[in-house]
Amino acid sequence: MRRGNGSLSSYCHLFRLAAVMSWGCLLPALSVAELQQLGEAEMSEIDGAGVGLVLDNFTFSHGTDRPDSAGNQSRIFKISGIKSTDGEDVDITVNHLYIAGANTNYGEDLTQVNLGRLLNPWRIDVVDGNDIGIANKAVLEFAAPSKIASTEGFDCMGGSALAGSGTCSSRPASDDWVGERTDIGMQMNVTVGDDRSANLNIHAKSAVIDGSYLRLWGDDQRQQMAGQFKLNFYSPELSINACAQDGLVCGSRITMSDFALELAIGNSLQPVFFDVDGTGNFVLEVDAIRAPGAGQIAANGMRAGSNGQAWAFYEDYYGNPEFRSNLSIGNFSVGDRDFGAARVQGMLIQHLKIQTKDLAP
Amino acid sequence: MTVFRVCLRPLLMISALWLNGVPVSAEMAPLGDEALANVSGKGGIYLSGDISINEVGGPVQNSYFGRCDEADKKCGARFAYRLKEGGGWMVLDEIKGLFAFEGLTLRVKKIDTGFGGDGELFNRDVIEIGLPDSVRFTDVQFKIAASSTARPTDPGFMQTDILSVQMQGDVIMQGNLLVFPDGKP
Repeated sequence: MRRGNGSLSSYCHLFRLAAVMSWGCLLPALSVAELQQLGEAEMSEIDGAGVGLVLDNFTFSHGTDRPDSAGNQSRIFKISGIKSTDGEDVDITVNHLYIAGANTNYGEDLTQVNLGRLLNPWRIDVVDGNDIGIANKAVLEFAAPSKIASTEGFDCMGGSALAGSGTCSSRPASDDWVGERTDIGMQMNVTVGDDRSANLNIHAKSAVIDGSYLRLWGDDQRQQMAGQFKLNFYSPELSINACAQDGLVCGSRITMSDFALELAIGNSLQPVFFDVDGTGNFVLEVDAIRAPGAGQIAANGMRAGSNGQAWAFYEDYYGNPEFRSNLSIGNFSVGDRDFGAARVQGMLIQHLKIQTKDLAP
Repeated sequence: MTVFRVCLRPLLMISALWLNGVPVSAEMAPLGDEALANVSGKGGIYLSGDISINEVGGPVQNSYFGRCDEADKKCGARFAYRLKEGGGWMVLDEIKGLFAFEGLTLRVKKIDTGFGGDGELFNRDVIEIGLPDSVRFTDVQFKIAASSTARPTDPGFMQTDILSVQMQGDVIMQGNLLVFPDGKP
């Protein structure tokens, strides 16, 4: 063997080979000694578990800086590629996007926050469809912390940091704990062609999305990806205002206090289907529920005279509060004028079809 | 189509060599089951480096894909997935850019305290991924689109770009991501 770089690399190679071989010899010896057979009864007790995720002391912030004298920008965050109906380019410049702890003063003082609780984390899991009304399917679920009994949970609007005040498991910030609710906001402006809009600011204080989830599975009949989406969004204050480009002059702030959105798109009886059509456009569809067969439901709609099974099916479909979407605003105000409360409740999406359309010439 | 380059600092390389060396040491003696049960992994991994995706272009060179300095060619990576049998494709297109970070940490940690009282009840091990305080993005961009075919060179190719995102500069990303088993099938 010649001395030099070649021999050194050969030496290293041998050294590693020896290391690998010695591990190779060692490992089976250890593992054989440790292995024991599992009986049928023990095997049936084994549960595969999903993955729990918690973000601890988390802060995220990014945006677009003002150009310096040479016209360079050190930070850029842009969303583009959208066309207006006149075929002009639409650019969204995100000046600031933040996810931080409570009391950030509209994103000015970023603090840290926990997202998810160790005892009720964000989850990625494959769940048994039979448990959630999707028969004989393995369902992939991405879920935010779940809601819990109102005897143990916390007020979703953050009115109280005491257990037993509501159904949200994420806690609001208190004197001795940062909490699991986040101040989230975005400042952006929109350019259509050469016209640049004022800066638009959207901020949510102490927001929480407990009980939200996205469930995905394959539909056999349509040979297509099907899903169920639930978004719960609660914030004691959601506000929108517009400021001049330089940020010095701002218009009145539109404030929605005690904002609660519970949006359900797709359900176990009417999943939402995702597709791309032959011309390359995205299609999102919620199919109409099947109509009852002739004579299944009595003319007066009552149970008496109807087919019991069919009646129960439609009773469940129309009566299940999980299938319904709700929006409520405690108080809507513009500047110093109050417009009072607004509430839309029990919306059921019976049919929905959204298709993108290419406006590019 | 996609090229990943990860540069790790020499510190990690040295520790990797050191680990390789341990088993061939002449001083080795077998550990009993009881002694092994008391061994716990300590420390963890500290990573600094950068990941670049198609910074100058991908390996495919044809009528559509090319190098980034060829004006009429696309140089980013493309990732297409189909949502329906016989249907079109959702596409993440023209993915390119460089992510540089300092101090991404990875370790296993036992949590039995803190977290507003949850730690004591939890009392388990988690994998802790310590996010770098900031990640430097250089010309990071990607496009979300819907396309009639998987490859742009396939016959009948039509594509609708839904939106494209461009990010540049230091992105603040602080905190720790804790990963642990949870839930039931």
